[in-house]
Amino acid sequence: MRNEIEHEQLPQEVFERITIESDQAERIEKPSLSFWQDAWLRLRKNKAAIVSMVVLVLLVIMALIGPHLNGHAGDAQNLRHANLPPKVPGIEQMGIMDGVGNLAGKKVDLYEMKKVDEYYWFGTDGLGRDLFTRLWEGTQVSLFIAFVAAAIDMVVGVAYGGISGYFGGRTDDIMQRVVEILIGIPTLIVVILMIMIMKPGITAIIIAISITGWIGMSRIVRAQTLKYKSQEFVLASRTLGSKDSKIITKHLLPNMLGIIIINTMFTIPNAIFFEAFLSFIGIGLQPPAASLGTLINDGYKVMEHQPYVLLFPALVISILMIAFNLIGDGLRDALDPKMKD
Amino acid sequence: MVKYIVKRIVYMFITLALIATASFFLMQTLPGSPIASYSKLNDTQKAIVEKKYGIDKPKPVQYAIYMKNLAKGDLGTSFAFKGKSVNDLLASRLKPSLILGAQAMVFGTLVGILLGMLAALRQNTFWDYGSTFFAILGISIPSFVFASLLQYWIASEWHLLPVGLWNDGWKSSVLPSLALAMGPLALSARFIRTEMIEVLSSDYITLAKAKGASGFEIAFKHAFRNALIPLITVLGPLAAGLVTGSLVVEKIFAIPGIGEQFVSSIMVNDHATIMGTTLMFSAFLIIIIFIVDILYGVIDPRIRLSGGK
Amino acid sequence: MKSKKWFLLMALTLVLSMFLAACGGDKNEDKPAADKEDDKATEKPAEEAGEPDAEQVLYLEEASAIPSVDSAIVEDQVGFNVLNNINEGLYRLNQENIAEPAMAAEEAEVSEDGLTYTFKLRDAKWSDDTPVTANDFVYAWQHAIDPATGSPYGPFMMSGVVKNATEISEEKMEVSELGVKAVDEKTFEVTLDRPVPYFLSLMSFGTFYPLKEEFVTSKGDAYATNSDGLLSNGPFVLTDWDGTGDSWTYKKNEHYWDADTVKLNEIHVNVIKDSATGVKLYQDGKLDWTRVSGDLAMQYRDDAEAVIQPETSVFYFKFNQEKGGEKTPLANENIRKAIAKSFEKNDMADVVLANGSLPANYLVPTKFAFDENEKDFRDLSGDHLVYNVEEAQEHWKKGLEELGVESLELEILGGDTELSKKMDEYFKSQMETNLEGLTIKLKEVPFAVRLELDTNQDYDIQVSGWGPDFQDPISFLDLFVTDGTNNLMSYSNPEYDKLIEESKGALALDPAARYEAFVKAEKILLEDDAAIAPIYQRSLVILQKPYFKGLVNHPFGADYSYKWAYISGKK
Repeated sequence: MRNEIEHEQLPQEVFERITIESDQAERIEKPSLSFWQDAWLRLRKNKAAIVSMVVLVLLVIMALIGPHLNGHAGDAQNLRHANLPPKVPGIEQMGIMDGVGNLAGKKVDLYEMKKVDEYYWFGTDGLGRDLFTRLWEGTQVSLFIAFVAAAIDMVVGVAYGGISGYFGGRTDDIMQRVVEILIGIPTLIVVILMIMIMKPGITAIIIAISITGWIGMSRIVRAQTLKYKSQEFVLASRTLGSKDSKIITKHLLPNMLGIIIINTMFTIPNAIFFEAFLSFIGIGLQPPAASLGTLINDGYKVMEHQPYVLLFPALVISILMIAFNLIGDGLRDALDPKMKD
Repeated sequence: MVKYIVKRIVYMFITLALIATASFFLMQTLPGSPIASYSKLNDTQKAIVEKKYGIDKPKPVQYAIYMKNLAKGDLGTSFAFKGKSVNDLLASRLKPSLILGAQAMVFGTLVGILLGMLAALRQNTFWDYGSTFFAILGISIPSFVFASLLQYWIASEWHLLPVGLWNDGWKSSVLPSLALAMGPLALSARFIRTEMIEVLSSDYITLAKAKGASGFEIAFKHAFRNALIPLITVLGPLAAGLVTGSLVVEKIFAIPGIGEQFVSSIMVNDHATIMGTTLMFSAFLIIIIFIVDILYGVIDPRIRLSGGK
Repeated sequence: MKSKKWFLLMALTLVLSMFLAACGGDKNEDKPAADKEDDKATEKPAEEAGEPDAEQVLYLEEASAIPSVDSAIVEDQVGFNVLNNINEGLYRLNQENIAEPAMAAEEAEVSEDGLTYTFKLRDAKWSDDTPVTANDFVYAWQHAIDPATGSPYGPFMMSGVVKNATEISEEKMEVSELGVKAVDEKTFEVTLDRPVPYFLSLMSFGTFYPLKEEFVTSKGDAYATNSDGLLSNGPFVLTDWDGTGDSWTYKKNEHYWDADTVKLNEIHVNVIKDSATGVKLYQDGKLDWTRVSGDLAMQYRDDAEAVIQPETSVFYFKFNQEKGGEKTPLANENIRKAIAKSFEKNDMADVVLANGSLPANYLVPTKFAFDENEKDFRDLSGDHLVYNVEEAQEHWKKGLEELGVESLELEILGGDTELSKKMDEYFKSQMETNLEGLTIKLKEVPFAVRLELDTNQDYDIQVSGWGPDFQDPISFLDLFVTDGTNNLMSYSNPEYDKLIEESKGALALDPAARYEAFVKAEKILLEDDAAIAPIYQRSLVILQKPYFKGLVNHPFGADYSYKWAYISGKK
C-alpha cells in the first residue's frame, strides 16, 4: 500500500514510454571489431610494447636523418682528427663527453692536444671519421638487412614448413629430407660460398643470410602444424567440409601466429648478428659501408682504451633488440586468439 | 618403432652421402686453389705438384676417389697441414669444442628453462620482467663482446679465472662456456615462457586445477612437458650450431678447437679439411635431429612416429 | 616413466661433460705465478745484459699453428721459425744477422769461377747422438728438389742456383744428378748453375738444412708429423707437438754442438690468433712476449715494455696492365704515375698503421741489403714516386686525355685483415679526393682467393707485399722481370730485364757494378715506369718483459733465434 503511494508520488513526466522493436533485439552495442582492430586494442594496453614502438620509430627516424645532423660526412676522413673521444657542447661541463680520452695509459684532453675546434659528438675512428654520422648510417644498413632477411625467412619458412607439416606423408618426407640435407651443411659454408659467387655487398649478405635462415622457421611451423592439425577443432572444421586453404588460414595460421612472430623477432637480431659475424671473419660488408655489426667489431678491438667506439653501436643494437623483443611479446599477447577475454 | 629407426638410419646415410657430394662440388666452385701458395713455382713445376696431390685428375675421378675413401672412413689429407690426415686433425681439435659446447648447452638450457618457467608462472611480476630482461640481454649482446667482457673483468681485472688458453683444467673452460651459454639460455628462456603461458591457459590445465592438482604438479607434469616440444626443435640445430658458433669465442680465449680451425681452413682453401669438418658437423646434426624426432614421441604422446603404427 | 628417461638423459649429458672437462685438465704443468704487479711501473728493458738467473723457461705465442716442420715442405713463417730453432744449416745468422759457419766448421772454400763451394763440416751431432754427415745434406737437398716430394720452396730456392735443379724439378733429369756431393763423411761439395753472390746467405735458410736419411726413411709417412717423428741438430728439440695442435714446447738440445751457449731450458709456445687476447695474457704474466697488431698497436707503441721491431717486408700497389686479354687503363703510364703519387704516406704510417711502419718510396727495404762497403742500398738509390698532389693531378689529366675519357672506375684488391681494410679505406679517400673523376671500388678477400685472382690477373690494383727469403736486392727486383712468376700484371721492360739478367750473369762477380745495375733497375721500375707504387715498409709492435733478454730477430728467412735468449732479473 505504502509503495503504491510512493509510486504515485513520483512525477509522471520523468518517465517515457518506449516500444521494443523486435528487429533490434540482436543488436550488438559494442562496435564491431575485426581481428586486427581487436588486437590493436589489446596491444595498446601493453605499455612496454607501446614504448618500444615509439623507441623503434625514433631509431628509424634517426637512422634516416641522423647522418645529416652535424655536417660531418660519414666517409670524410681527416687523419689529424683520428681517434678523438666524444665531445658534446653543453654536456662537456658535466665531466662526461668532454673530449678527454686515454693515451698511453694517461687521461688527456685530446681535442686540446690535437688543436681540434669541432665537436665530434660520439668521437671519431682511426681514420678521423665522425662516429655519430657513421653510427646512424650503420643503423640504416643493419635495419635494412635485418628487415629484408627476416621477411624472406618468414615467408619462405612459413610456406615450406606449413606445406610440409600440413600435407604430411610423402610430401613431408621429401621436403624434410631436403631440409635435413640443407640443415646438415654448416651455414657458414653456404654463406661463404654465396658471398664468393656473388659480388660482395648488402645483397649478397641478405641472400646469404636468408638462404639457410628460413629453415629454423620452417621446422617450427612444421612442428606447430603437426601439433594443431591433429587437434579436435581442426578435425571439426574438416568434418564440416572446410577446404584446406580455409583450415590453414582460419585455424592453423592464427594459432601459430604468436610463435611465428616471436621467431621473426629472433630472426631480426640473428640477421644483424650474422652480418656482424661475417664482418668478424672478414667477408662481411665491403668498406667504406658501415653497419652496426662492423662498427661493433671495430669497437670491440679497442674497447679497453676507446670504449666509446663500442659503446654507442652496442647501445643502439641492444635498444633495437629489446624493442623488437618487447613488441614481439606485445604482439603475441595481442594476436593470440585464445587470449581473448 | 624398430622398423622406423632402421629406416631413419638408412636415410641418414643417404643424406650424408648427398652432403658429401654437394660439398665436394661446392669446393670446386670456391675461388682459390688449395695449392695457391705454390705461386712461387713455374707452370711445369706447379703441374707436377698438382699431379702429386691428385688434383690434376678430372673432377669425376677425384670425386669417385673421395667417395671411396669416405666409405672407408678416410676423410683425406689436409692441404694446409701438410701430409696429415683430416681424421687426426679433427680428432685432436674436437675435444675442447665438445666440452665447451656440452657445458654451454647443458648450463644454458637448464638455466634458461628455469628462468622461462619462473617468468611464465609469475607472469607480469618482477620475476617475469627480470628474467625476460636477462634473456633479452643474452641475445642482444654479441657473444664476442660478452666473451671479451668476461675475459676483461673476471680474468684480467679480478684474476679469478684464466684469461685464455687450454692448459688450466676445468678453469680454462668456464669463461668460454659461459659466453657460449648465453645464446641457448636466452633462447630457451623465451621459448619456455611463451609456450608455458600458452599451455597454462589451455583447458586441460584448467581441468587439472579444478581437480585440485598442486601448482608444482601443474607446472612440471603438464605445462612443462608440452612447452618442451617447440624448444627441442630449436635446441637440436642450436647444439650443432654451437660448435661452429664457438669459433669466435675460441679465438678470443685462444682455445685449440674445431670452430676456429674451420674458418682458418676456409681462408686457406684447405678443401679436404673443409669437407671433413662439414661432414662431421653434418653427421652430428643429423644424429641430433634423429634424437629430437624420437624425443617428440617420448615427450608428446599425441605425436605418433609415422613408421610406428 | 617417460619423463624419467628424459631427465636421465640430461643427467647423463651433464656427467659426461664434467668427465670430459676433467680430462681436459691433464696438461696442467708448472706455470709462472701471475704477475700481479703493475707492469707499467717497471722500467724499460735494460739494454745491458744481465746474468741469466731464475728459471730459464720462456712463454711465447705464435699467430698460427705449425703446418709442417719437414724442411722440404715448410713454406710459412711459423714453420721456418720452428726449423731455425730446432735445426741448423751450414750457416746460421748470428746476433748481428750475419751468416756465419754453423754446421760448417769454417768458411766455405769457393772456386775461382764461383761455381763450386766446398764445406768442411764440424763435429756436430743429431739429437739421437749420431753424427751429422755430408750425406745428410746430400739427402736433404735431393729430397727438397725431388718432384715426388712436392716441395713449394725446394724448386724455388734451387732453380737456377744449384746445378741441374731446374731440370730435376721439371722431371727432365734424375734426382741423383743434382749438383751436390759428399766428398767424404765431413766434406760437402755443391756445384752451381751460375755464380750466385748471395749463395752463403741461402745456407741459413730452412730448405737447405740437413736430414738424416736413415731416420726419415725409418719413420716413413710419420716423419715430421709430430714431435716424435723429428730429429734435431739445432739448439732446441721440439716436444709436445701433435702435428696439428695449437701448442708446443722447445726443450734444450743437449747434443747441440754449441749447447753451452744455449741458456733457455724450455720454451712454451701457444697459438694466439686474437692480438687482444695475447696482450691480456701478457699482462697476466702468462706470456713473456707478444705481438700487438691492428688498432691495439697505437695504444701500446709508447708502452714502457713495447719494442718496435722493424721488418724487411715492403708493401706496394701492383698495377695490372692487362685483364682478360685486354689492356686496362693502368697500361697508361700517366695514370699509373698519377695514382702512385696521389696518397700521403707520412700520416698514413703514423696514424693509420700506427705501429712504427715506415712510409716507403722504394722497393728494396732499408737496413736490409748492403754493398761491399757496408753501405745501405737505400743510400745508393734515392726516393721514387714521392707523394705529390700537383704532379699526380698533372699526370692524371694527361692520362685521361690519352685514354680519351673523363672519369675512371678502378678496383683495389686488398687483404681481409683489420689493418688492410682500414688502409684500403684510406687509399680510397685519398685517391678520390686528389684525383678528380676517379672512383675506387674496394674488394677484400681472404689470402688464398687473392692469390688466385693474382694468378689469373683478375684485378685492377692490388695491395701486395713481399718479404725477402735471402739477403740480396735481387730477392725483390727479380719479382718484376717479364713473365716472372710473381709479375702477374703484364709489366715488361726489356731494359729492366737486361739489367736483372746481367746482375745474375756478367756482373755476378763484380759487386759494385751489380749494385749499380740494381739501382738503375729500381729507378726504371718505380720512377720511369711506375709499374708498382710503393706504400710502406712494415714494423711490428711487440711487448716484451724486461727480464726476457737476448732475443734475436732476423730480417730475412726465419723470424727469430732463441739460441742466445735468456731470462735475467725475473722475480
